[in-house]
Amino acid sequence: MSDYAIALTNVSKSYRLWGRGSQFATLKSALLKRDLALTPETSIEAVRDVSFAVDRGEAFGIIGRNGSGKSTLLKLISGILKPTSGSVRVNGRVAALIELGAGFHPEITGRENIYINGIMLGLSRREIEARFEQIVAFSGIPEFIDQPVKTYSSGMYVRLGFAVAVHVDPDVLLIDEVLSVGDEEFSAKCVAKIQEMKYRGVTLVFVTHQLDQVRNLCDRALWIDHGEPETIGDPVRVVDAYLQAVSSTQTAPPRATEPDVKVLAEERPRDDAGEEERWGSGEIVLSRVALVDSRGDELVAVGPGTPVAIDMDVLVRVPQDDFVFGIGIYHADGTCVYGTNTDLEGLMPERLETNGRVRFVMPALDLVAGTYRIDAAIHTRNGRAFDYRRGVIRFVVGSRVHDIGVYRPKHQWKFDGGIAFREIDLEQRNVPIEVAEAMREARKPKLKT
Amino acid sequence: MDELRILYRYRQLIAALTARDLKARYRGSILGFFWSLANPLLLLAVYTLVFTFFFPSNLIHPYPLFLFAGILPWTFFSAAVLESTTSISSNAGLIKKVMFPAEALPLVTVASHLVHFALAMPVLLVATAGFALHGDITISGTILLVPFLMILQTLFVAGIAMTVSSASVLFRDLRDILTNLMQLGFFVTPILYLVDRVASRPLRALLRLNPMTPFIVSYQDVIFFGHLPGLADTLLMIAYAFVSVAMGIMVFGRLRDTLAEAI
Repeated sequence: MSDYAIALTNVSKSYRLWGRGSQFATLKSALLKRDLALTPETSIEAVRDVSFAVDRGEAFGIIGRNGSGKSTLLKLISGILKPTSGSVRVNGRVAALIELGAGFHPEITGRENIYINGIMLGLSRREIEARFEQIVAFSGIPEFIDQPVKTYSSGMYVRLGFAVAVHVDPDVLLIDEVLSVGDEEFSAKCVAKIQEMKYRGVTLVFVTHQLDQVRNLCDRALWIDHGEPETIGDPVRVVDAYLQAVSSTQTAPPRATEPDVKVLAEERPRDDAGEEERWGSGEIVLSRVALVDSRGDELVAVGPGTPVAIDMDVLVRVPQDDFVFGIGIYHADGTCVYGTNTDLEGLMPERLETNGRVRFVMPALDLVAGTYRIDAAIHTRNGRAFDYRRGVIRFVVGSRVHDIGVYRPKHQWKFDGGIAFREIDLEQRNVPIEVAEAMREARKPKLKT
Repeated sequence: MDELRILYRYRQLIAALTARDLKARYRGSILGFFWSLANPLLLLAVYTLVFTFFFPSNLIHPYPLFLFAGILPWTFFSAAVLESTTSISSNAGLIKKVMFPAEALPLVTVASHLVHFALAMPVLLVATAGFALHGDITISGTILLVPFLMILQTLFVAGIAMTVSSASVLFRDLRDILTNLMQLGFFVTPILYLVDRVASRPLRALLRLNPMTPFIVSYQDVIFFGHLPGLADTLLMIAYAFVSVAMGIMVFGRLRDTLAEAI
């Protein structure tokens, strides 16, 4: 088994534009031309030379303006459309949520439609029987299941369609702008279901205009413009680059030369260990970001419970009245430990006219031993970055206690009655690192009970 | 070969869609599936009435049964082929929005018409038995060959259906052309008459060229005349069935990738 779920290599797709003469092509005209292949008069390239691979279990977002080729790309992946050139390879069973309930027949009941839809999506009759109750329960319309589908409201239609599609147990799930359908409750249910599938290792590809979903659900994102890939990589960054481009076509703000927003080739933020990534429009720049102790000295390693602060020197090139400072702390494995910003905490921006300093003070950094990184950013309230510095600080939390997780609440062990312990000095225990690691591993399952 | 593999993989889908088609067709009607029996029964009653009392015919006797033996397979052929012209365009949603094997659609049309045809068969058998009891004809064991003819005819029809279903997405006028051709075809196929009784020699040759002729003649042979189909007819049927399937696979294979765009 190869490790990619989807691989596109130099994929292009042209749609034929039938000229007026051949729009309603007739057999007669074709026979006269003696050409059944129908050479079209013009064609437009919806997707041009796109290459990318999506790993197994990865959540991949595709964003772009209307008509940029997003949906075409999804249809190419699903196999509904064939590429004009290049190759599309997909490993595993694919389910596409392009239009929910597209295969329903109005005259027959919901129950019968579940069967037929399931078979269309590649299940056998027996597999559908096994999932039937779950599908009906998820759809939330058990009382209508034996009614013909033509009597359903459009919401019920969509619920049933989604319920069937997500119970197919696909290896790859393609989703085209369907999470926005249905009421709030069902929408949330869909997002939860999709997160569950992601957790189970299903490869997800989204096409959406809901950029928040891309930021929250995706591991990587592709921004496609006029059929060509513009940027691929970290979703926060790609979404931001996209927002920049969209707003610049509207207002064209002054662009600073540094930091350079020019987007790089493909990159994997999780794999790289040390490099900072930086992007933004540059009207405001975070010229220095540092982790400091209570005296203001820079830190690289921190003990647990030490009071620390994040210092940001702010360089103002163009004064702003809409600005938000934000910080995020991440574990090296990518887990977000904590994130906040001034907007979330109810601080309304008033003025940002001259250079200054922002300090984010934490009386205690209660983290478990490990490597962490800090993101610092200044952006507008709708998320357009002036300066976004991902991984600007890397620091290590050291500890003599080999506890696990990321957060160490302040705590104490108390014993009453006939229970007693003898404390030893952890330094003296002198356990080789491999053994300590093994012990930590061994302790993990017990935590589940 | 790819096509055949796809078909095998989607056999459950084809079966389910055929059942859906039949169910949807009769949903809301009082007689339901009984219509599949009632239609040929009424047709037979009308023929008997007309050709016994209005135009008594003594060339072929009993004429209603002869007519019936030819008209049922013809109806299967013409209805399935005509309906398959819209089988893909009327399911545009499936082709454009779902990963759906397009070849299933014409085959579902053929399968559901085959079911109608098969349901009419008992009526034909009962009628044959009735005329035999009356002493008009004798039932022969050759009637057991009917399923064999049905298999060959189904292959023939399926091949044509695949061809016209995909081609009519690109050539919208194919359906109109075929509707007219079928009306003509009904008369240039020996359903109402015997080929040998046609006086004009070139016309007889033309009838022989019609690919439906050996099928219809063979049905009449085994059901009405009670003898085996001719060797030439048998070979022709097999040849037509295979040529038709090969053409269907080739044309469909050529056009499949353009269907989602052209629809």
